[in-house]
Amino acid sequence: MNSRFVEIITSADPEVRNLPVESVCGGLDLASLLEEARLLDRFRRASLNLYERVRALNLLHAIFRFHVPGRLSRTRGLISFEGFSHLLERRFEEAVDAFQREQVQQGVHDANCSALATAYHELALQTLADQVRRSVREVAGNQWMFRMGHPSDHPLRIRSELLLPGKVTGLFPVLAERTPVRMDLSHSCWSDIFFLGMDYPEGARVLNVSIDLGVRGRDALPIPPIQTFLRVLDEPVLKLTSVDLNGRATVRDFAEVFDFARDHLGLVKSAVIASGLVPPGIEGASQPLKDLLERMVGPGLGLEIVSQVNDIPKGSRLAVSTNLLASIIALCMRATGQIKALTGMMDEDERRLVAARAILGEWMGGSGGGWQDSGGVWPGIKLIEGALAGPNDPEHGVSRGRLLPEHRVIGIEEISEESRERLQRSLVLVHGGMAQNVGPILEMVSGKYLVRAKVEWEARLEAGRIFEEILEALRAGDIRRLGAATTRNFFGPIQSVVPWVTNEFTETLIEKCQDRFGENFWGFWMLGGMSGGGMGFIFAPDSKTAGQDFLAGAMLSLKKSLERALPFAMDPVVYEFAINPSGTASVLLEDHRALLTPGYYALTLPADIRGDAQQLTPQRRKELDLFSLACRAGGDLEGVMPALFDRLLPRFDSSQSKTQNLSEMLVENGFDAAQHEQIRADLKSGRTGLAHNRLSVNVRITDVESGDVTPWEDMAGSVGVVAAGEALLREGRVGVVTLAGGAGSRWTQGAGVVKALNPFFRFAGKHRSFLEVHIAKSRLAGARFGKPPVHFITTSYLTHYAIETFLRERDQFAYEGAVVFSPGKSIGLRLVPMVRDLVFAWEETAHQKLDAQKQKVRESLHAALMGWARGAGEGSDYVDNLPSQCLHPVGHWFEFVNLLRNGSLASVLERNPNLDFLLLHNIDTLGANLDPALLGWHAQSGAALSFEVISRRVDDRGGGLARVDGKPRLVEGLAMPREEAEFDLSYYNTLTTWIDLDRTLAVFELTRSNLGDPALVGEAVRRLAARMPTYITLKDVKKRWGNGQEDIFPVAQFEKLWGDMTTLPELDCRFLAVPRARGQQLKDPSQLDGWLRDGSAAQVEALCKWT
Amino acid sequence: MGKIPKAVITAAGRKQRSLALQSLVDRDAGSKSALRILLEEALDAGVEEVALVVCPGDQDAYRAAAGPLASHLMFIEQREALGYGHALLSAREWVGPSPFLHMVGDHLYVSHESTRCARQLVRIAASESCSVSAVQATRERLLPYYGTVGGRRVPGAAALYQIDEVVEKPSPTEAERKLIVPGLRVGHYLCFFGMHVLTPGIFEILQDQLRTLEAGSSIALSPALAVLARKERYLAAELNGSRYDIGEKYGLWIAQLALGMSGRDREELLSRIVEMVASRG
Repeated sequence: MNSRFVEIITSADPEVRNLPVESVCGGLDLASLLEEARLLDRFRRASLNLYERVRALNLLHAIFRFHVPGRLSRTRGLISFEGFSHLLERRFEEAVDAFQREQVQQGVHDANCSALATAYHELALQTLADQVRRSVREVAGNQWMFRMGHPSDHPLRIRSELLLPGKVTGLFPVLAERTPVRMDLSHSCWSDIFFLGMDYPEGARVLNVSIDLGVRGRDALPIPPIQTFLRVLDEPVLKLTSVDLNGRATVRDFAEVFDFARDHLGLVKSAVIASGLVPPGIEGASQPLKDLLERMVGPGLGLEIVSQVNDIPKGSRLAVSTNLLASIIALCMRATGQIKALTGMMDEDERRLVAARAILGEWMGGSGGGWQDSGGVWPGIKLIEGALAGPNDPEHGVSRGRLLPEHRVIGIEEISEESRERLQRSLVLVHGGMAQNVGPILEMVSGKYLVRAKVEWEARLEAGRIFEEILEALRAGDIRRLGAATTRNFFGPIQSVVPWVTNEFTETLIEKCQDRFGENFWGFWMLGGMSGGGMGFIFAPDSKTAGQDFLAGAMLSLKKSLERALPFAMDPVVYEFAINPSGTASVLLEDHRALLTPGYYALTLPADIRGDAQQLTPQRRKELDLFSLACRAGGDLEGVMPALFDRLLPRFDSSQSKTQNLSEMLVENGFDAAQHEQIRADLKSGRTGLAHNRLSVNVRITDVESGDVTPWEDMAGSVGVVAAGEALLREGRVGVVTLAGGAGSRWTQGAGVVKALNPFFRFAGKHRSFLEVHIAKSRLAGARFGKPPVHFITTSYLTHYAIETFLRERDQFAYEGAVVFSPGKSIGLRLVPMVRDLVFAWEETAHQKLDAQKQKVRESLHAALMGWARGAGEGSDYVDNLPSQCLHPVGHWFEFVNLLRNGSLASVLERNPNLDFLLLHNIDTLGANLDPALLGWHAQSGAALSFEVISRRVDDRGGGLARVDGKPRLVEGLAMPREEAEFDLSYYNTLTTWIDLDRTLAVFELTRSNLGDPALVGEAVRRLAARMPTYITLKDVKKRWGNGQEDIFPVAQFEKLWGDMTTLPELDCRFLAVPRARGQQLKDPSQLDGWLRDGSAAQVEALCKWT
Repeated sequence: MGKIPKAVITAAGRKQRSLALQSLVDRDAGSKSALRILLEEALDAGVEEVALVVCPGDQDAYRAAAGPLASHLMFIEQREALGYGHALLSAREWVGPSPFLHMVGDHLYVSHESTRCARQLVRIAASESCSVSAVQATRERLLPYYGTVGGRRVPGAAALYQIDEVVEKPSPTEAERKLIVPGLRVGHYLCFFGMHVLTPGIFEILQDQLRTLEAGSSIALSPALAVLARKERYLAAELNGSRYDIGEKYGLWIAQLALGMSGRDREELLSRIVEMVASRG
């Protein structure tokens, strides 16, 4: 039998080749679809062509993720632990084999489909990434670096000009490289991703402009924002300095060069390696670095490399880091004769080589960007296009296109000086201040391109047409038309491909600009992966200055109102920019000019001053003499003295008041000092810790049996049950509890944003937050049953103020019923983790292994963090951050308990004594609503608590429903005695719980009538708390510094969890199996795309009623 | 191409001047200066006259070092230190219109067959009737020391290459992009042997370079050879022999060892080395 998918993949006819996946899947029944998948899998295993393999893998992912599950009658099943282990170890091919065996043995079920889909998806990404790496290594000019393994074999020599001391000062000269950044004027729907260029070079096109930059109001003129320096040292070491990251290292061995995460010099180290100075092939050599330096520079000599970015904040979407990498690479290549010209510009071949080395460097450092990112190396405006692979290219026969595109610098005969000037007079570049991870976006784009989903493919074609229009407008100098085209691009194709690129901040800004400037606002332009950071606003030339002023104010005030809802890393900035006509270029600073920047001296001099003057090398002495003269003479170095004094004698800062704030917050939020000291003592003595979270290995954990779980379908099919539930709703006997005390750190990677308030998706034409969705569900229930349910929102010190303000400002979304806040009454203070626990978390529990280079970086980071924990004091209070980042909520068990302790439940009961039931759910369980069938069943069952569970998918990690020594209960992932135990469980806990108030109060030995007695309630809570397990967990916390820079630290905290209520023998708990759409949780933004595509978003919308 | 009557040896480089004066024990166990060994190499190839390009005033020392072969030797002074290419250009008038053999004064050659290296080269040049540079496949770590050629193998000739590109001391990056020669082992390039047979066309190219020379700079030979490759047929030949740069660290010692190991005293030398190694443990 011929496979239709294979025909599509292998067709030479673009019309067939570009057919969307839906065109085939739509008409197939389950058996036919599975047969198609079998043939497609066989095809991809046999194919040697990159495109064929990767496209087949993505189609297989789409089939098992989106098309097979909807045709299945059976959802419940187990996931092969063997397959899952392969996934963690990145043995994706073996994982596919294991899950396929599972399918043959156990039949097709939803759980296994999810595992197969994941394995195919990861295998596709791995295949692509491997090809990119192979191509970069095989570029002529790069290969030698991988076979050079001994210092004596090093074929590079430092150019003689750099070894000539100045005649007057005796100083070695300084080679200085100045590099612009790049902006992508076209944004052709991320057509710069590697795979697109390699598969569809005709569609890979961008208009890339090299620009100088300055911050408005701070810098006099725009300048190339990246400066890098290299000079010879009179000591056999490699000194690396990053002025903006305050990083400085004196490197003496090869291991440290390859230790990327040890300090903030990872990017500089990547560049040193990718430039061939310390080639990648030498990693692991045991000789001292000075052997290599002696051969390359000379006996007793070394090198210093310094980087400085002109205070351009992170996340500018101007590819600052890639261009910084390229700048250092170019600098080192010039210094070693790999680029012919020591000073000035370089030739086209050399630029291409620098770009290839920058891609290599990004891979070394475990990061990655698009192929246009090193555009700052080239001058002015250039068209970058994919190119067909020729016989001499390493990609020939593997993919249609090359890894590296063609760059065509556009001359002034095509885009005149006048047109360039007009662009500069109209475009306002800004950094909105948001910091986001664009990695998932690029993965989504690759996947969607490959499956040719209809809407996205048409959007890509449309983006191609808009690209032509942008180019034409620029040629004609018609900036207004350009603005219209970029705006259409943003609201059209770009968002059709990835809806998540926009957000409330961006769209509000656009609206404000339109309102304020009307016809004189010519358009919006999105830079890079997503909006919110670097962005462009285009105004009529007369309005540009007013536009800059307006945006500065509007962005700041908007940021203030949204900063707890969206991840901002810094205050917004407005730039001044100018097109850079030369690309990266260098100068040689000789003799009395051989000095570095003021920032460099402010950073490095304090150590010299504090140290022994006798230890200074002769060159350093001469340099300091010259520096001292230069400071007296004024000029650039005049301002360095105050900065130097600030470093030498740090002024009083707010750290003391910070500690004070922390103390106040602890007192205000119910911090239990005695309990804290007990936990610290237990941690330090080893009585508690991550390993102690686990149940004893002797405990018998098995999957639940029939009868332990009641399926939703049984309840929904019972007219009596549904009617009972509807009656309770009509009588107002049920309320909703939305748990919103946690920040949802996975959602914004520990940015301190309140997840409940994050406007994550556009429902009914407007960005809506998690909280608004939950209130909208209550509104619909109120409208259907005539009684809007009381809606509790539990909060904590992290979220209370933000949520209360947010809802007040929005009039509680005009909710017809009562919204009741239940503020936190328990708080913990984070601790510096025990190294023992870090080792346990990182080395003794299973983790997703990363690709080889990223894994190396991760391991280096882990070593650095263990060093941090030892240095900071294991088990000591974590106070070196903002107070809110030092505290922690103590688990959702307390969120229910807080309803009792803070009196909110008592006061509601006073007003509404009819309230008998509560539906408690997590902030990210969007499908949970007041379903009459579930409510009716719970009420009739007589249970105290009914927990909703869903059949497990491969992503559902963290415990589940189990029989523990024969008794059904929920088991947290932390408590699993063995990794594989979780894979014997077919149900996953959603945490959504139906609560019978009186029965649940009884377990606390409380009744409605004594809820008003705080002492009694307090005592009851303490009594039960003592019976609940305490878990020690590690949380990643961000510490922000500098210009949008962030460090992430793992800190220890404790939690008590709601699911453990099922361990209480006197409490009648039941378990309800609900549909996935109801029980699934949105934990990570990368889930959003699948959530939209599989129809979950539409199902949630159907549960809501908007104002 | 007819007979090659003349040879030019350059020995005027600042760091080169004394190298040719060093004494070594030749294959015939006789003690000779490096210059004399080189002269024997040239004369064996059929050359009748040899010009030595020297710094002004160095003639006497070289005459003495040439010993009995001094009668074949004439001296050309390089009056300005304008580089290697300029040193060769100084011999233009003396060379005249015929092709000539050129060797550098700081290299010694050891043939792996009975025919000496220079004679192998001259025979190839005569039969191919064009400029030919001797080359040796060299590991990329040594690229900083040599002029390097890129090109392709001449069909039907095992060790002959058509030269397309010449780069002086290339970086490995440039070598990998421009100087890969099919058939060589990975990481190996064809580097100059220090021995060439050149047509007088090279002098015109060097003269052009002298005309456009900027103050403070010098004339190298490799760029001129790169131009030569574009102007006329120019081949590279892998000879059956090895070259030894006596100017590099331990260069003289290694050259001596090579001479000894291929000469009459091989057995004695070997036993002395074994003895030395054994006694050092």
